[in-house]
Amino acid sequence: MIDSKHFAIVTRDESWSLGSRLVTESRLIHGSADQRGATIDARDDLDDELLALCDRETDRVRAAIAPLREGRARAVVSARRDGGVSATISLSVRDLAVVTTLPHLAGDYEMLIELASVPAVADAAGHGVPLVWRNGSGAVLMHEAAGHPAELDQPAIDWPKWLHVESPLALRRESFTDVPLRRMTNVAVTSVEAGFSPPSPPYIEILLVADGRYEPLTDRVSLSISAANLIDGDKSIRLRRFTIDETRETIARSLRGASGDVRRYPGVICSKEGQNVFVGSHAPDLVTDFR
Amino acid sequence: MSEVYRKFGRSLRYENGTIVRSDEAGEAIEDAHTFSCRPIAHAVELPAIDGRAIDETVREIHSIVRAPLAIERLIVSEGIAEHQFGERRWRETTRRIHVAITFRSMRALIDLGDFDLADVRLISAALARAVPAEAGTHTEGRIRLAPNVSAALLPALISVAPPNIQLIQTAGGIDGKGAPIETCGISFASNWYRPSYRVRPVRAPFSLRASCDVTLIDEEIPRAIALLAPIERLTMSVLCVRGTDVFPATVRVARIDAVSTAVRWYPYGAGSFGAEMML
Repeated sequence: MIDSKHFAIVTRDESWSLGSRLVTESRLIHGSADQRGATIDARDDLDDELLALCDRETDRVRAAIAPLREGRARAVVSARRDGGVSATISLSVRDLAVVTTLPHLAGDYEMLIELASVPAVADAAGHGVPLVWRNGSGAVLMHEAAGHPAELDQPAIDWPKWLHVESPLALRRESFTDVPLRRMTNVAVTSVEAGFSPPSPPYIEILLVADGRYEPLTDRVSLSISAANLIDGDKSIRLRRFTIDETRETIARSLRGASGDVRRYPGVICSKEGQNVFVGSHAPDLVTDFR
Repeated sequence: MSEVYRKFGRSLRYENGTIVRSDEAGEAIEDAHTFSCRPIAHAVELPAIDGRAIDETVREIHSIVRAPLAIERLIVSEGIAEHQFGERRWRETTRRIHVAITFRSMRALIDLGDFDLADVRLISAALARAVPAEAGTHTEGRIRLAPNVSAALLPALISVAPPNIQLIQTAGGIDGKGAPIETCGISFASNWYRPSYRVRPVRAPFSLRASCDVTLIDEEIPRAIALLAPIERLTMSVLCVRGTDVFPATVRVARIDAVSTAVRWYPYGAGSFGAEMML
C-alpha cells in the first residue's frame, strides 16, 4: 500500500524597522505537498481557509508589534493543515536578539531592552567559576546536548540522576518544498531533587544564548553566549560574547544541580538541513562547573 | 519607482532518499524602502525535467562513497526557470550537488554546479586513507589548493585580496535585474544576485576568477583537496594530501603566491571558478 499524505501551508513573513515603523520586507508564501512513499509533489497553490487563518493571526501580531519603538522585528506566521496557526517573532535590539511568541511578546521585548541597555565590559576568559543558567537558558544547553543527539540516534550517555529532560520528537518541516525531518518540538528540563543550593559568588549567570550547535562526529556541543554577568560579591559585570565548547560527557559531569522554578526561555529557532523551526524551551536554573 | 521581477520555476531534487518535484511562480516588488514577494499564476509553460540524470548521479555517488566512508547528506537537483524583469525575459537551467562524506571525525563537504563526479571520486579515495583528526590535525605552512577548494575561498577574498591577486567577474548569463554579466574587475562589477524570488537582491560579483602574474604551482608541496568545514573568515579546515599521506589541516590564508588557469565553475556565492592556487 502506498502511503499518501497531503500538507498545505500559508505563511506571512514580515520584517519591521521598529524605530522608523517601516515594514522593510514582506513575504507571502503558500503551497501544498503530496507525499507518496519517497516522492513529494510540491506546488505553490493556495488554500483560502489557511490564508484567512494566517491573516487573522498576522493582524494580531502587527497590533502587538506596533507599540515597540526600538530595534528590529521579524514575524513569521504560518497556518498549516497539520498543525493550526503559529507565530514566532524574532526581536533584535543592538547586538542582542530573542525569539518569542505572541503571548510573551511584550514581556520578552522589555527583558531584551533591559539586557541590551547594559554594556559588556569584560571577557569571560580566565574566570574559572561555576555557570548558573538563568532565564530557562539551561533548556538551550540541553537542546544541544540531549535533544539533537536523540534526533540523530546517538548513543546514550549517563546524565545525573536528578536531571530529567523531555524533548519529544515529531516529523516537522518548515515549508511545502521541504522534506519532513524528525525534529524536537519542545525541551522541558526538570529536577527530581529539591534543596540544591546555588553557588555563592563568584559565578557567571547566563542570560541569553545567541546560537548553539551539536557536532555528532566529535560529540561536542558549542554554544555562543550573548548575554551573561559575572557575579562577584555585590558586583555584577556584563561579559562580552563568549563560546562554550565541550563534549557531552564533560557537560554531563559538569552538571551540579538545579534550583528555582521552571522558567520559559524566550525560544529557540532550530536550523537543520536549511529548515528553521521553533522549539519551546523550559528549565529551572541549572548549575554547571567545568573546572 | 518600483521594480518588478517574476520567476517561473520547476525543479527536481533528490534529498537524502526523498525526491521532491516542485513547481513555483512568484513575483518580487521592490522600492526604496520595501521588498515584498508573493506567488503568482503559472503563466509560463516549462518543460518537464527528466529525472534520469539525477537518478544516475545519485546511484553513482553511492557506488563511489562506500564503507568505511558514509554519506551524511546528499542533495542532487536540477531546475529550469524563466525570469522576467521589466521587458526582459530569459531562461536558465541549473544543476547542483551537495554531498557531505564522513569518515571517523572528519566530514568532507563537496558542492558542485554540474554532475561531473571527478571531485567526489578523488576526495572519497583520499578520505578513506586519512589519519584520525586527533592525531593529524596541524597547521600547514605552504600549501596548494585544488580548484574546488580555491573556488570556495574566492568569495571570502572580496575586499581583502592581497595586492598581487586580481579578482575578476567573468562574463556569462544575466543577473537578477536582467542585466548582462560582463567581464570586469570586481570593483567595477555592478550586477545583482537574486538566488530566489523570495530573496532581496544584493550586489555581488558573478563567476569570480582569481588572476596572478605567477601561475607556476609547486607540485611538491601538500595539496588541499577538500573542505572539512565551511570557511570562517580566512581560516580553512581542509583535507590534505602529501605523497601517500592524507591528513586534516588548518590553513590561515595570509598570502597567495600563485594561481593557475581556472578550470571549473562552482556554486559558491554568485559563482566562482576554481584553479590550482599556491599559498
